[in-house]
Amino acid sequence: MQEKTNEMIKIFIDKEPVDAEEGTTVLKAAERAGIHIPHLCYHPAFPPEGSCRMCLVEIEGFPKLELACSTVVKEEMKISTKSERVVEARKAVLEFLLAEHPLDCPICDKAGDCKLQDYYDEYGLFESQFKEAKEKREKKLKIGKSLILDQERCILCTRCVRFLKEVTKTQDLGVFHRGVHSSVNIYEGASVENNYSGNLAEICPVGAITDEDFRFKTRSWFLKEGESICPLCSRGCNILIEYHPGFSRFELPKRVYRIKARENPEVNGFWICDRGRYGYSYLDERRADQIIMNKKEGENELTCENISRHLGEKIKNLSSARKTSGIALILHTWLSNEELFLLHEIFKNDLKVEKIFFADLPDGEADGFLLTSEPSPNRRGAQEIGFDIKTVDLGALADGTDFLLAFGPFLSGLFSSKDLRGALDKIKTKVLFSSNSNELNSLFDVVIPVALIAEKEGSLTNVEGIVQGFQPVLEPPGESLPEWKVLSDLGKELGMDSKFYSEFTSPEAILSEMGKKIPFFKKKND
Amino acid sequence: MIKALGYFIEIIRGIFITTRHFVVNLFFRCLAVLGIKTKRKGSVTIQYPEQKKEIASRHRSLHRLMTRPDGKPRCVACMLCVTVCPSECIYVEAAEDPDPEIQKYPAKFIIDLSRCCFCGFCVEACPEDAIRMDTGNVEFAQYSQEDMIYDLDKLIG
Repeated sequence: MQEKTNEMIKIFIDKEPVDAEEGTTVLKAAERAGIHIPHLCYHPAFPPEGSCRMCLVEIEGFPKLELACSTVVKEEMKISTKSERVVEARKAVLEFLLAEHPLDCPICDKAGDCKLQDYYDEYGLFESQFKEAKEKREKKLKIGKSLILDQERCILCTRCVRFLKEVTKTQDLGVFHRGVHSSVNIYEGASVENNYSGNLAEICPVGAITDEDFRFKTRSWFLKEGESICPLCSRGCNILIEYHPGFSRFELPKRVYRIKARENPEVNGFWICDRGRYGYSYLDERRADQIIMNKKEGENELTCENISRHLGEKIKNLSSARKTSGIALILHTWLSNEELFLLHEIFKNDLKVEKIFFADLPDGEADGFLLTSEPSPNRRGAQEIGFDIKTVDLGALADGTDFLLAFGPFLSGLFSSKDLRGALDKIKTKVLFSSNSNELNSLFDVVIPVALIAEKEGSLTNVEGIVQGFQPVLEPPGESLPEWKVLSDLGKELGMDSKFYSEFTSPEAILSEMGKKIPFFKKKND
Repeated sequence: MIKALGYFIEIIRGIFITTRHFVVNLFFRCLAVLGIKTKRKGSVTIQYPEQKKEIASRHRSLHRLMTRPDGKPRCVACMLCVTVCPSECIYVEAAEDPDPEIQKYPAKFIIDLSRCCFCGFCVEACPEDAIRMDTGNVEFAQYSQEDMIYDLDKLIG
C-alpha cells in the first residue's frame, strides 16, 4: 500500500500534464496516468534494477536517454516516451536482446503472453543484422520441483534472482559468468523447492523459466481468464483462472489449465503459493454432474429443480418436537458467507437444530507467508455468522437423527467408510450436496451435484476478516447448481418467513441482508 | 410484343451457336479418330477417371506431414495451424521429446477432412514447413465420416 503522505507534483509526459507523487519514478507516474512504458526487468514488487534498458525515455535537459524505472520525478519534468529518439533506442535495445535469443517461439510456452514478442511486434520489426552464431547454452535445466530453465531464452532481467532473494529469501539462483557468457543458473546442489516457486514462471517476462505443470499442454492464446479467489486455504488469495473454452469438434481432457496470481496488496500482494497454483485438479476431476438417487422416492422423479420442495416436505413431515432433535447438519467451510448465513437462519434460528457439525479437511501447516493452516476458505465467515465450529462426532450425529443434510465431499477423508456406513445406516433420510463424487455417493439416499467457488457467485471471509466477493468463471457441469439457490428456495418452502426468503434472488441481496443482521458483514462504505 | 420477339431471336441464335460447335467439334474429332491430321482436334471432355488432367504445381490437395531425416515428424506442435484453421478441423496434442533440441512433438495430430475447406492456411501458418498440401491426391472420398478423420500415421505415411 502506498502511503498518501507524499505531496503531488506536476510533470509533463508526452506534453500532457500529469500529477505524480513526489519521490516516485517516471515509470510509476506514467503507469498511474495510463501511459505504458515498455519494460522487462522492472517489477513493481522489487526495487528497480535497470538491466533490460527497455524503458528508456527522453527527458528535457538531460543529455542522454534516461531509464524510466529508476529516474525519480521532479517538478516540471518534461518527459517524452514516444519521440523518434526513444523509439529508435528501443529498437536498438530489442535488437541486442534478440541477438542471443533463440526465437524458438513455436515450442515456447510463453508465446502469446511474452513481453519480448509483444515489444518486437510494437517497436521492432527489423531484419536481423546478426551474422554470428548464437551462444549454445542449457535448454532444459530442471531447477525445481516443477520449473524448467532455458538459458538461451533468458534475457538476464534477474527478476527470478531478485524474487528468490527478496520474497522467499532462499537465493537458489544467481547470474554466473560475465559479458556475453553470463547466464542465470542454479547454485551447485541447490534446487528451488519453496512453496512459492511457481511465481518464478509467472514473473519471467520471457519463456526462460517455464512451468512443468503447464508445459506443452496448450497454447496461451486459446485460454480465457476469469477473476476468482483461491479456496485452498483461508488466506483467500486473489487468482486468475485460465480455462480453455474448448474446440467445437474435439474434446479436451480438462477445462482449467493454469492458475495465476491476481494483484491485491491487501491480501496476497503479487504472489500465490504453489498449493493454490497447482491444486486446481478438483475443478475437473471426478465432478458430480447428475443427481444420484440410491433410494426410490415414491412416484415423482427428483431433479435439481424440485429438490428444495422435496427437502421442505421431508422437514415439514417431521413432528415439531423432532424438528429440533431429529435433524442433523454436516457443513463445511467451502460454503460462501451467503450460504452459511441461509443455513444459519433456516436451521439454527428457525428450526433450532443443535446437531450442526463441520467436516473440513484436517488442518495443515502454515508457512508463515501466505499459506495458512486452515485448508478451507471461509472458517472465519462461519464463525462471524455465529456457527460454533464442531468437528463431526459420528456417535452424536447418528443418535436419534431422522434427517441428515450433509454438504461437501470432505467427510470421506475424515472417517473410514466402514465407520461412516455404520453411523449413516441408523439415519432414515440422508441427503448430500457434493461437488466431487467419491465413496460418499453410495452412502446417501440422494446426492445433489453443486457448483464450486469458481462456478458460482458469493463472498468469502478470509483469515484476517476481509470479505471478498467472487463471480462465476466457469459453467457448472451438468445439472449442478449453487447451494444458495437451493437454500433460499428451501427457506421459502418451509414458509417460516416467506417474505424474508423471497427477496433472496442473488447472493448480493443475501449479503446486504446479512449486513443488517450481523454488523461484521456491513459494507464499510454504507 | 416486339420485345417478346427479341427473346425468340436470341434463343434461336443460341441454339444455332451450340449446334455449330457440336457439329464442328464432332467433325474434327471424327477426323482425329480416323487418323487424319488437321489443325484443329475438336474439343471434347476429359474422360475422367480413365483420363486425368495434370494438376497445376500450386494446387492444394490432401495434406501430408513432413518428417525429419530420422523419420520423426517435423511438426513441433506449436498449434498455429489449429489456431488459424477456419473450419476448426485440426486437433494437436503435444508431448515432450527427450531430445532437448526438439523438445516438443505432436503425440496426436488429427485432421477431420470432412470439415476441411482446403484453404491452405495451415500450410501458410506453419513455421516449420511441416505440413504441405502437395500430395496431388484429390480422390479420398469415403462412405463414412469416420474414415475422413486422418491421424498422424495416415498423414505421415
